[in-house]
Amino acid sequence: MAKSNNDFFIDFEKLSRNRTILLVGRNWAFIFLISMLILFSFLGKYFFSLRNFNNIILGVSSLLLLASGETFVIISGGIDLSIGFVMGFVCISSSIIMRDLNAAGYSPIISIIAGSFGGLLLGLIPGIINGYLVAKLRVPPFIATLGMWGIANGLAWRLCEGFPIGFLPLQVRDIGNAYLAYFSPKKGFSFLIKPELTERGDILSLVKIIPIPILLITFILLIFAFILSQTKFGQHTYIIGGNVDAAIRAGINVPLNIIKIYMISSFFASVAGILLVFKLNMGVHTQYTSSYELFAIAAVVIGGASLTGGKGTIWGTIIGVLLIGTLNNGLMMMGLPIFYRFIATGCILIIAILIDQFFPELVYRE
Amino acid sequence: MKKLIIGILLICLVLSFVSVACAAKLKIAFMPGIADPFYFTMEKGAKAKAAELGVELIVGEYPKAWGPEYQVPILKALVARGDIDLLFTAPTSTEALIPVLKEISDSGIPIITVDTYLGDGDYTKPSNYNFPLAFIGTDNFLGGQVVAGQLALMLGGKGKVFLENTNPDVSSVMGRELGFRAGIKMFPDMELVGVEYCLDVQETAAAQVNAALLKNPDLGAVFGVNVFSAQGAYQAITSAGLEGAVKVATWDATETLIEALKRGEVDLILAQMPAEMGALCVEWGFKYLTEGAEIPRKVIPGFFVFTQENVNDPEAQKYIYK
Repeated sequence: MAKSNNDFFIDFEKLSRNRTILLVGRNWAFIFLISMLILFSFLGKYFFSLRNFNNIILGVSSLLLLASGETFVIISGGIDLSIGFVMGFVCISSSIIMRDLNAAGYSPIISIIAGSFGGLLLGLIPGIINGYLVAKLRVPPFIATLGMWGIANGLAWRLCEGFPIGFLPLQVRDIGNAYLAYFSPKKGFSFLIKPELTERGDILSLVKIIPIPILLITFILLIFAFILSQTKFGQHTYIIGGNVDAAIRAGINVPLNIIKIYMISSFFASVAGILLVFKLNMGVHTQYTSSYELFAIAAVVIGGASLTGGKGTIWGTIIGVLLIGTLNNGLMMMGLPIFYRFIATGCILIIAILIDQFFPELVYRE
Repeated sequence: MKKLIIGILLICLVLSFVSVACAAKLKIAFMPGIADPFYFTMEKGAKAKAAELGVELIVGEYPKAWGPEYQVPILKALVARGDIDLLFTAPTSTEALIPVLKEISDSGIPIITVDTYLGDGDYTKPSNYNFPLAFIGTDNFLGGQVVAGQLALMLGGKGKVFLENTNPDVSSVMGRELGFRAGIKMFPDMELVGVEYCLDVQETAAAQVNAALLKNPDLGAVFGVNVFSAQGAYQAITSAGLEGAVKVATWDATETLIEALKRGEVDLILAQMPAEMGALCVEWGFKYLTEGAEIPRKVIPGFFVFTQENVNDPEAQKYIYK
């Protein structure tokens, strides 16, 4: 019986010695992303344009942050379901601080800074609690963070009573929707300051280069990619996810590390919430229908991480997020109804899991 | 131990008599459809009317998401109190809520459906869903047509329009979509270039409207069917620098949308009258319970259209959802 099974399955060990297949297996998501970019450029008329790429990257900017935080948690062998609602909670609370300070007569700059840092600090609390529950009280991460999922959402709801938080200083919008540089055929280059244009044709031909939120996200991601891949803390994260007992025997302070990991996840969710305030110029609570946490987990897995822990990279996650965003946008630009887009994202996720499951030798990075 | 349990049961029994004895007031229950500004405003209108008439208003917990699976358990818990004289509710499904509400109605609690309805909403003809006393709410199809007509007026009867919807499985927003489609068809020079669904996520709505702007550089207007789709729409248009050039029409007059209208980022808001609907439910319910009055089977409170011209009128302020 065992012999016939061996005959049935492909000899992965032999395959994994083939360098080309190894390379494809390890980078399938990236290769898939590039081929999708090429395919959609031919299929959709407006797909290949700077404006559309800005739209794709801005559309997934929240997901990019959430998934990057989730990467740390998943590598450590845990899961954080609360991120989407922590984002909503921070979005609401920091916008309330901004609105109220502004209404009380403080200058917009002070209101904005206080709101951003206030939101960031509040957003760390769920992470500390999640980490403490998982590390010290041994609550399974799924349950602990599911609890926080409800708490964060309930708090956000209580604070905003279901209404969006408006009446923020207008500078919020100007910062959140600014670009590093603009090029107008009429007025030439300008940095940070959007040129005043009145004609519709001129407005549409304005070239916008690198959105400010994306610049900030890139900066944060570089720092955390460095932490994950180059520091002791990063190494410990992989070891904890790979084998907790080995980590304890090696003298790693596992509980402290886990608390830090969940705080990182919460930190990313908070940054996402604050950026959302800047992008939308208002505070909104996270809708149940958005399922941010699930898409974040999906992106992390597509990016090569394993839900059992020990594997994954920030770069992989970025590719995972871009893959979901590009797939969605490309199909939308082709005019495909939303239902099919859901199906397509689902299929990609299943392929990712299959590759992870059946080709471990190919995907595993030494 | 036994004595303790018997003691507790006795106390419970006595307390339940006390609560029954206190219940001299009429009790009208309200079961909302979902936690959102629209139903909050409805509750406020109903509360004010209830206080005026000396009726006790009991409000069911607000479901966190739209759908019978969220609403029915809360609804059942609400009527299980056993002391409710009349129920008004927004059924979250035209079909799934029929047996549930029928059972409540059969147990002696008269029902009014508000904002949404059972079956096709016509309770006058023979059917298995004609047991509610009345439907009090908006005609979404008509509202969609009103928005189409108003936009046509703004655009001079010609141009391309885009529709940003929320969920393809909700009767109210689909009614708006169908009405809007029908309304636009009446103008031969107007064209609906696309429909997208953002599932109530504002970021998604913004990305979808951005894509529509990219595909149609000469887009004339966007209709966002509710708060979230509209906020995403005007965010996309404002960040493109096209506010005013691309008109934004929306539904539901929340304070944030009114603020955006005053800033010139939104051009038209169709306000329903949720406070009025809530008040009407309580008023007609009260009349039915106390005088046995005959209630009209369908009551439609109408719309109010906000534009930049009338948004500051004192008369208009009462239609803002607060």
